[in-house]
Amino acid sequence: MTTPLLEVDDLRVTFRTDDGDVRAVQGLSFTVAEGETLAVVGESGSGKTVAALAIMRLLPRTARVEGTIRFRGTSLLDLDEDGMRDLQGDDLAMIFQDPMTALNPVFTVGDQIVEAIRTHRDVTESAARARATELLDLVGIPEPKQRIDNYPHEFSGGMRQRAMIAMGIANEPKLLIADEPTTALDVTVQAQVMEVVRTVQEATGTAVMLVTHDLGLVAGTADRIQVMYGGRLFEAGPTDTVFYGSRNPYTLGLMASIPSAVGRTARRLEPIPGSPPSLIALPEGCAFSPRCAFATEACRDEPELRVVDAASGHATRCHRAEELPDLVAARATATAGSEGGAAEPGAAGDGAA
Amino acid sequence: MLAYAVRRVLATIPLLLIGTFVVYVLVSISGDPLAKLATCTQCDQQAFDRIIDLYDLDKPIPERYVNWVVNAVQGDFGPAVSFGSIDAGELVLERAANSARLAIPAFLIIVTIAITLGVYSAVNQYSRLDYAVTGLSFLGISLPTFVFALLLQTIMIWMLDAFGWRPFFVTGMRTVELDGFLPMLRSHVLPVITLVLVITASESRFQRAAMLEVINSDYIRTARAKGLPNRKVILRHGLRNALIPMATIWAIDFAALLGGSVVTETIFAWPGLGPLFISAVTQLDLNLTMAIVMLTSLLVIVFNLVADLAYGLLDPRIRYE
Repeated sequence: MTTPLLEVDDLRVTFRTDDGDVRAVQGLSFTVAEGETLAVVGESGSGKTVAALAIMRLLPRTARVEGTIRFRGTSLLDLDEDGMRDLQGDDLAMIFQDPMTALNPVFTVGDQIVEAIRTHRDVTESAARARATELLDLVGIPEPKQRIDNYPHEFSGGMRQRAMIAMGIANEPKLLIADEPTTALDVTVQAQVMEVVRTVQEATGTAVMLVTHDLGLVAGTADRIQVMYGGRLFEAGPTDTVFYGSRNPYTLGLMASIPSAVGRTARRLEPIPGSPPSLIALPEGCAFSPRCAFATEACRDEPELRVVDAASGHATRCHRAEELPDLVAARATATAGSEGGAAEPGAAGDGAA
Repeated sequence: MLAYAVRRVLATIPLLLIGTFVVYVLVSISGDPLAKLATCTQCDQQAFDRIIDLYDLDKPIPERYVNWVVNAVQGDFGPAVSFGSIDAGELVLERAANSARLAIPAFLIIVTIAITLGVYSAVNQYSRLDYAVTGLSFLGISLPTFVFALLLQTIMIWMLDAFGWRPFFVTGMRTVELDGFLPMLRSHVLPVITLVLVITASESRFQRAAMLEVINSDYIRTARAKGLPNRKVILRHGLRNALIPMATIWAIDFAALLGGSVVTETIFAWPGLGPLFISAVTQLDLNLTMAIVMLTSLLVIVFNLVADLAYGLLDPRIRYE
């Protein structure tokens, strides 16, 4: 196996606050290969966005970042400011959650894309503008020659996110980090934007790290999924394996809480009880155990992330990973009238995609 | 935008009428020009009649006001009786020019320093320099103007005592035409410094707040994610946005400076609008008071309009219809 594009090893991010240290990311390790799409899934506060910002080195100075992040062999945390800036927006690009506020209101969309190009490429203004028009066309902005001179407020939400993507891919990055790119958008526009991400990926061969809380969005897009909870990796594996053969109660819980658009089953949505843990005072042992239906005495000890299927690289953080399918089946028969939470998620995922 | 400006200018007319009417009535009822004659033993009925005629005291106040407006729109603000009955309008314009000699350099210095300090404090929030700027700003805001003015004068007097020489003049205005360039400079420095100290303090706070709001916004993160150098992120993306709310504050401060500063000009014996206004009010010189009120109101209105138009230039989201 060749060296991966991005290699994150034992990443820890801590914010110092008056209430104590917030351990937003705790010992996160993963890789992204060239050209692949990795989805990072989790609830709010699971540390997924912080991890993404840590890779881009965009966290505020109050954040303490430890561990190693290697991008094409270069250790990002050891780079000086200039070295990091050469990568930011060039080989390593990021698009943000809220397109309403992520574009500068006082510059035209074209100016902002041109700026992204000319920061890294020694090209003339007019050449950069021509390229910007091409990019806007690629992401599906109608009449790009006219719209390039519009200000962000003259764009709709979906168009702004398209413009953000155009800006992100302006220099054909090797890795594009998309932080909840569709969260602020209408459902119909969400699908369009994901389609744009896919088109862009085909056109440029960039790897995509898709950070989202929306499992449904991930199903049709990602090659691999990794699920985060309480600043830790809870499950990782190929998309299909995680969707159809998850070995983690948290992942199962997430899937059971997605509404399905197909199959008019009268299945009730099953929310995960409780709320995500405080990152200042995490529960003892397994961080998910207070909310877990299958928690036992053993869960007082923090489980390791362990590989359950070496061939696919499927890994999970659960003491009861092996018995989990049986436990879920038993619970499904116990809840009468239901078709069973664990059997449903596949359909749920397809429906949303 | 032109139509908007014209409409705004027209809208100021009723505003000016209401404002001047209120001031006219208040000044008219706050004193009686005949009162001084009451104890005058040599004065006969003729003197009374002359004053009644001069001020139209036999007519109701609203009618007097209407007469004043009719004359004022023709540029005739009447005689300033407390200044030897010279033309009030001319006197006010002459003094306004003297106030502007302080206001314009002071304003330029204030804006430059306030932007620099505000941006630096915001970017280095909670650094030592930020705390120092914050502390000095609060000192500047809370200490009365006369403290700075008197302090500066004291330093000059002390230098005169110690070295027999002082770099700047303590009172009075010198001009290039009458006294030469260097004396002009030496007489302007202290009052300008006083104005700068007082107003920079509050303006740098506003600038810091505006800049803080901007540098914590999403589009600044976007700019950083592009790999832009820090200077470009702060100045091009940050300051450009942080200047928008400042336009209003500058307009208000500049209009106030041009309208003359009572305390600073009085302490430095500067022949500006500030001392003139005090003297006009204390001597119940109605024509002079009204001419000054007219000018200062116009300044406020004009510079507010300038600020609103500047908004449109700075912020593309604002459209004038």
